[in-house]
Amino acid sequence: MSDRAIIQQVLAGEVEAFARLVDRHYARCARIAVRILGNHEDAEEAIQDAFLRAYRALDSYEHRERFSAWLTRILVNQCRTALARSRRRDAVFADLDLRQAHFAIEAAPDDGAWPELERVLARLPAEQREAIVLRYADDLTYEEMSRITGAGESALKMRVQRAFARLRALLQEVPSV
Amino acid sequence: MSDQFERRVASALRADVALGDDGARRRVMERIRRDAAERPPVRRSTPWSRATRQSIVGLTLAAGIGGVSALSAIVPPGGGRAAGSIGAAALGDTVASTLRDTLRLVRLMFDAPEARRVAVAGDFNGWSEHATPLVRDASTRQWSVTLALHAGDHRYAFVVDDTRWVPDPRANRAARAADGRTYSMLTVGRATD
Repeated sequence: MSDRAIIQQVLAGEVEAFARLVDRHYARCARIAVRILGNHEDAEEAIQDAFLRAYRALDSYEHRERFSAWLTRILVNQCRTALARSRRRDAVFADLDLRQAHFAIEAAPDDGAWPELERVLARLPAEQREAIVLRYADDLTYEEMSRITGAGESALKMRVQRAFARLRALLQEVPSV
Repeated sequence: MSDQFERRVASALRADVALGDDGARRRVMERIRRDAAERPPVRRSTPWSRATRQSIVGLTLAAGIGGVSALSAIVPPGGGRAAGSIGAAALGDTVASTLRDTLRLVRLMFDAPEARRVAVAGDFNGWSEHATPLVRDASTRQWSVTLALHAGDHRYAFVVDDTRWVPDPRANRAARAADGRTYSMLTVGRATD
């Protein structure tokens, strides 16, 4: 069943049909959000918020655009909001005294076939990280990326090039790579 | 792409990530169902229905703020935190039901007898260190504040004297972000749970 047909079901009042859209697009959203935010909890929250916003705005979705691209645009906006919030949180938590934490700590889950890459992604400027993630984690064209981010195609190509250059430097490329 | 390095980066970025547990997708649908129950069905989203919802949200916040002073009776003495129903005696049944399903009142308490100021910062106030101050009880010298929170998980920490950020010693859970920093976690259930 197409996304369009599912959306018609939801708009006809079948809320549960939305679960199909969640199943179909969740993994893609996870690839994007985790790599833009570098934090699993923030990513899950951003994805939840994005799906909720998409559901609430479903009646304004226009079928001229692919649902996946529309959802990605919402998700990218949620990630930008989460980044702004986490920058503020990180700044204040720099002073956190961990000796006062007398409780169990839930460690962030570790994943990724190239852990070093996941780590250095966080050190890219946000615009470069967003661009390279959208280009490859979601296999978008520069035209699609431009519609999603509001940036020009040439600017996005430049961001991706600079992201590669920065990643190469950060990873201290070795001959085997 | 020009070289092997770029191909390898692209391949790594295309790889799926294991985000959360199997419940992550279920939690999305739980929020959708909650939202569907609280607001008009998405297909009926009209200027009229949007205006109606905004007025209900306004009432919700007003009830949350106004209900704080009546809360002491439902907060167990010495308890770390407690949640209770919103007092809505002056409201109609429909609105009161909406309020109970929308917000829960949660009291946070903190021991810092030497502190001059204590506030709580969290997801719910944009991590502002000034927006939500705690009040010190004159006799017990314990700091406390009551929050009106939506059901779900909330992350927070206390801010002592505007400078020192500490997690809540009474919190059952804490989480460490990928960068190693820690905050407290609070889960608020729905009134009907």
